Amino acid sequence: MVTEEIVRLENVAKIYELDGINIPALNGVSFEICKGEYVSIMGPSGSGKTTLLDVMTTMMKPTAGKVFIEGRETTTMSNNDLASFRGKKIGFIFQTFNLLPKLNALENVMAPMWINGVPRGERKKRAIALLKQVELGDRMYNRPNQMSGGQKQRVAIARSLAMEPNIIVADEPTGNLDSKSEKLVMEILNNLHKKEGKTLIVVTHDASIGKKAQKQIIIKDGKITSSGSSKSCKQV
Amino acid sequence: MPTDVVLESAKNLKREGLRTFLTLIGVVIGIAAIVSMVSIGAGLGVAVESQLDALGAETILVIPAGIQNIRTTLTDKDVDRINGISGVDSVAPIYSESAVMEFNGEKISVSISAVDAGDAEIFDDTGFFEVAEGRNFEKNESTAVLIGNEIANNYFDKKINVRKQIQINGIDYKVIGITAPQAQSFGGGPDTGNSVFMSLDGLRRISDATTPSIIFVTATDKDSIQDTSDEIKELFEDKYGEGSVIVYTTDEILEQVNLLLGVVTIFIMGIAGISLIVGGIGIMNAMVTSVLERTREIGLYKALGASNTKVLAIFLLEAAFIGLIGGVIGVIFGFGMASLIAIVGTTAGYDLIAVITPEIILGGLGFSIFIGMASGFYPALRASRLDPVEALRYD
Repeated sequence: MVTEEIVRLENVAKIYELDGINIPALNGVSFEICKGEYVSIMGPSGSGKTTLLDVMTTMMKPTAGKVFIEGRETTTMSNNDLASFRGKKIGFIFQTFNLLPKLNALENVMAPMWINGVPRGERKKRAIALLKQVELGDRMYNRPNQMSGGQKQRVAIARSLAMEPNIIVADEPTGNLDSKSEKLVMEILNNLHKKEGKTLIVVTHDASIGKKAQKQIIIKDGKITSSGSSKSCKQV
Repeated sequence: MPTDVVLESAKNLKREGLRTFLTLIGVVIGIAAIVSMVSIGAGLGVAVESQLDALGAETILVIPAGIQNIRTTLTDKDVDRINGISGVDSVAPIYSESAVMEFNGEKISVSISAVDAGDAEIFDDTGFFEVAEGRNFEKNESTAVLIGNEIANNYFDKKINVRKQIQINGIDYKVIGITAPQAQSFGGGPDTGNSVFMSLDGLRRISDATTPSIIFVTATDKDSIQDTSDEIKELFEDKYGEGSVIVYTTDEILEQVNLLLGVVTIFIMGIAGISLIVGGIGIMNAMVTSVLERTREIGLYKALGASNTKVLAIFLLEAAFIGLIGGVIGVIFGFGMASLIAIVGTTAGYDLIAVITPEIILGGLGFSIFIGMASGFYPALRASRLDPVEALRYD
């Protein structure tokens, strides 16, 4: 089976400068993620996995190296182009949900759509369908403070799907959830990967979640110690 | 897409209702103060213009001035000299005196203005004089007087009606008319309500009256009025010296008054402008606070695909909306304030009106939006330049 590569990092380095001291966070990181793959990124605290996520999702530019998303080099793009590109290609799910507190669930899901220019009539229709997909059809007009952690994370999942991106990136998606909500959220994410063919990249501390991924990228001291497979996407 | 940014900015302001309201107050006060001052200033201009219109475009005023504190005394010969100038159509000197008026055994001091009975209508032409009861003089009336409404109604225990007999400096006169209250008199004094008007023949019964206090000259046509005015000026400069007499055409008076009004209006607008600057700082303060409070939200917008330009536009539009709404309310309040000042002023005897023109409305709104955007620019720029990663993790 021939699969396209969707994310590729080539020799990526990121060095933070703090009070004149250079602190390396990533050091020569290279790997690729194939389209439709479920990948987990794991590593201890301070290993560089958050920096890796930020660089990989174009939220932060690397100090050196190249990042390709769907075949396009992102490191040379302007900030404005990058924002627009990111908005359409990558869906984000955060540990702390990052829902807008003054908007209800429906408005939160519609937020990426107005930002990225989806026609007004289309937005509501799509947001309602997405909220129903995450089983929140009855909580559409609730604000985040009227919802449980699990419900908030499901709204965030619906929001990440609003622009129909191929890549879903989840940063510790179950970190703030009880076990019941955790199970439900992971089930929804798994379905996105299995049924909809989304590329799912999950950053996690939780080995039990990480192990379920097709590919596990382990990072330590800013270096990849294991990237699951040495084969390129076309060889899979 | 721009519509979405506009709508989002408007919604954000609505969500921050109390803060928006408090920020608006500063802008409203500033704009209201400026609009009211401009409105009253424009009203004063209109009032002066209409009074000068009543004088006519061909009128030249000759008013004695002074050199080194010695006031020039005009004489009847000066009147004859003006009459001899080619562009002059008619000359009407006004004589003023102080005298004691007696009615029903009571005595008070009054000021008297007199013109040649043949030129009685010159009083009407000043625009400051209006007969409310009775009539104006006719030729050869030396015992008839018109009295100001204040004298008629308030100076004496008993009201003085038309056809009553009074004494001035002990000489008998008959009241033939009472003037209406007016805002100004020829000399710029309080009002004509406190004066007695009579013919020159009438005045000469109690005084020599050979020194006019002001001379109204009518030029033959308004095209040559400036030449005529210059000639009169030259005549008096030759005789009494430079600056001895002020010679003004109505246009020149209007020009001077407008210049003065303009300076006063700009000065007051400057003071009012300070409150608008305070309002602007209020907008900046509110926006900086808003950017800080919404740092994570900005980070999220950027993660979701909002460009720096779009974030800048959202915040800049919020500030512009504050300016626009503050401007609309400020213009309405400002005109309301100006109308109130005009009502109070008119009641107190000053000829004030509040004027609102499209220029004042658009100027007020434009200035308000400008202040809003100028004040909001720095916070908006700060928001747009936020690093999305740092913003998302901001606590």
